[in-house]
Amino acid sequence: MTLLRPVAARAWRAAVSEAIERRGERFGGAWATRDGGWRAVMLAGDEAVVLCCDAEDGRVDSIVDIAAAALWDEREAHDLHGLGFIGHDPLRPLIEHTAELERWVTPVSGEGVHQVAVGPIHAGVIESGHFRFHVVGERILALDTRLFHKHRGLERAAEGLAPDDALKHAGRACAACAVANTVAYAQAVEDATGLWPSADLRRQRTVLLELERLYNHLHDIGAICAGVGFAPGSMAFAALKDRAQELNAQAFGHRFLFGTVAIGGIPVALDPPAAGALRGALRELRADALAGWRDLTFAASMQARLDGVGVLELEDALRMGVVGPAARASGVPLDARVGNRRLVYGGLRPASPPAATGDVAARLRIRALELEATCDMLDELLSLPLARDGASPGRERSPVGVGRVESPRGETVCTVELVAARVARMHLRSASYANWPAVARATAGNLLPDFPLINKSFELCYACADR
Amino acid sequence: MFVLLRQLGEIRRRARLGRGSGTRWLGVRHVDAGSCNGCEHELGLVTSPLHDLQRFGLDIVASPRHADILLITGPVTTRMAGPLRTAYDAMPTPRLVAALGDCALGRNVLGERTELIGSVERLLPVDIRIVGCPPTPREIAEQLLDALAELGP
Repeated sequence: MTLLRPVAARAWRAAVSEAIERRGERFGGAWATRDGGWRAVMLAGDEAVVLCCDAEDGRVDSIVDIAAAALWDEREAHDLHGLGFIGHDPLRPLIEHTAELERWVTPVSGEGVHQVAVGPIHAGVIESGHFRFHVVGERILALDTRLFHKHRGLERAAEGLAPDDALKHAGRACAACAVANTVAYAQAVEDATGLWPSADLRRQRTVLLELERLYNHLHDIGAICAGVGFAPGSMAFAALKDRAQELNAQAFGHRFLFGTVAIGGIPVALDPPAAGALRGALRELRADALAGWRDLTFAASMQARLDGVGVLELEDALRMGVVGPAARASGVPLDARVGNRRLVYGGLRPASPPAATGDVAARLRIRALELEATCDMLDELLSLPLARDGASPGRERSPVGVGRVESPRGETVCTVELVAARVARMHLRSASYANWPAVARATAGNLLPDFPLINKSFELCYACADR
Repeated sequence: MFVLLRQLGEIRRRARLGRGSGTRWLGVRHVDAGSCNGCEHELGLVTSPLHDLQRFGLDIVASPRHADILLITGPVTTRMAGPLRTAYDAMPTPRLVAALGDCALGRNVLGERTELIGSVERLLPVDIRIVGCPPTPREIAEQLLDALAELGP
């Protein structure tokens, strides 16, 4: 059960500060409510505490100097709910797109400094988002990202719905993270309604999450190959990804595993022959993926392009609350799968690359390591058939529930507030949302033509962040 | 089913895309107007070795100025309506508009929302409709090629 801890508005900073500095908790996202409420979820191990306060005259003290990860959360709350943040200056627009250029870009000036504007429509088959580079010659001094072109108001649309009906909102936030987002949402609702997943449900969800990670990591390795223009690698891994998605379709009826997650249960099952067939096909895929990876490690023209590019320093990764493979590649031993009691990860430890250099090379290598680990986990998990089973009641109910899942891009935190069995507020803070500011940080100092490569090495979703 | 490469000349003529004599080729420009990224993932694979759209004379091009077909995904967010219109206006004429996926066709899970235009058709004339959520790479290729084959003069 997640604790809801009311805090007086004037004590907000002190409460967050105490959670982080005295209790060693991590900031896991903040969101505003329609009635002027302001919340922050603090994470410690597998536990979560939600701090809540009411804004005074529409304003709250900013916490960005205590928790830099709250930067976007505060900007979003200002744009969507009109909250003001005392001490957050300048408070730049994030989702609001009507502002003058000067109001949302970083002021950068000097001899020869100019801006290069890219997007929202990009040259390839890529999601929409705008990037504004401040450059001298080819050198990037700073990057302002202006995302949220794909803002669909998913969270607002979920308000007032029955929890089962809002599941599709979490699911359609992003296809590539559909399982992670829906499991996080289902966990949040179960947490609020006092349900606890059965052993079968925990295993089933873990299988789905790892299948999602498998095709995403294959895709991401291929995307980095594309980022350096290494066509054999990008084509080979695109084909492997396609194979992984076909296995999803054969086993569970959908290439992106849509419709496989439900609140308090699971709508799909795998009988022993199906589980065996999937297991066998995954073993073949694992062997081919590792062979493909070996080829990449010997592709000198590709390897020469990875080292020292797009470095995200360890201290920045920690300060900015970066999650997932990007954090681990910079040396942060953080993985939401570790100790997650609502899923089955046994004694999993966060993967660490041979050298946590925080560059494109490290972000590529960590995915190869995790790919292998995921295949091994799936092999073990699929040694038994998957039964339809649910979650059992018996736990205490809570006005707020929290779900936490390690998506292919990192920790996704979903929070649900229920009032009279309806969704009063759903907040989905995906790993992409957490990591986008780090892309800009890792880009500074690099050459403009390297940006697509750096961007691909994070491979964040715009859809997940924009919602 | 798939149409053959040699039929593309005929398709171009019937679709009134006969710019550049004898060029058996169509350029496709993709615009994401607020999709969940599912259609992008699948569209990306349409040009992969397994599906290889290029063998039919179609390819994804970098600019709307090089494109015969504007291929649009997503329910068209209000924030993407302007850029989408700009891309369309930048295309040479005659031109075709293809709506890819159920969201672009006005069947998104959210229904009517102030953040959304709701469908491509509310903004641009749609010539080609590719259904699915998301359509698989094979379905995208088949529906696109079938629609091109069926386009009358």
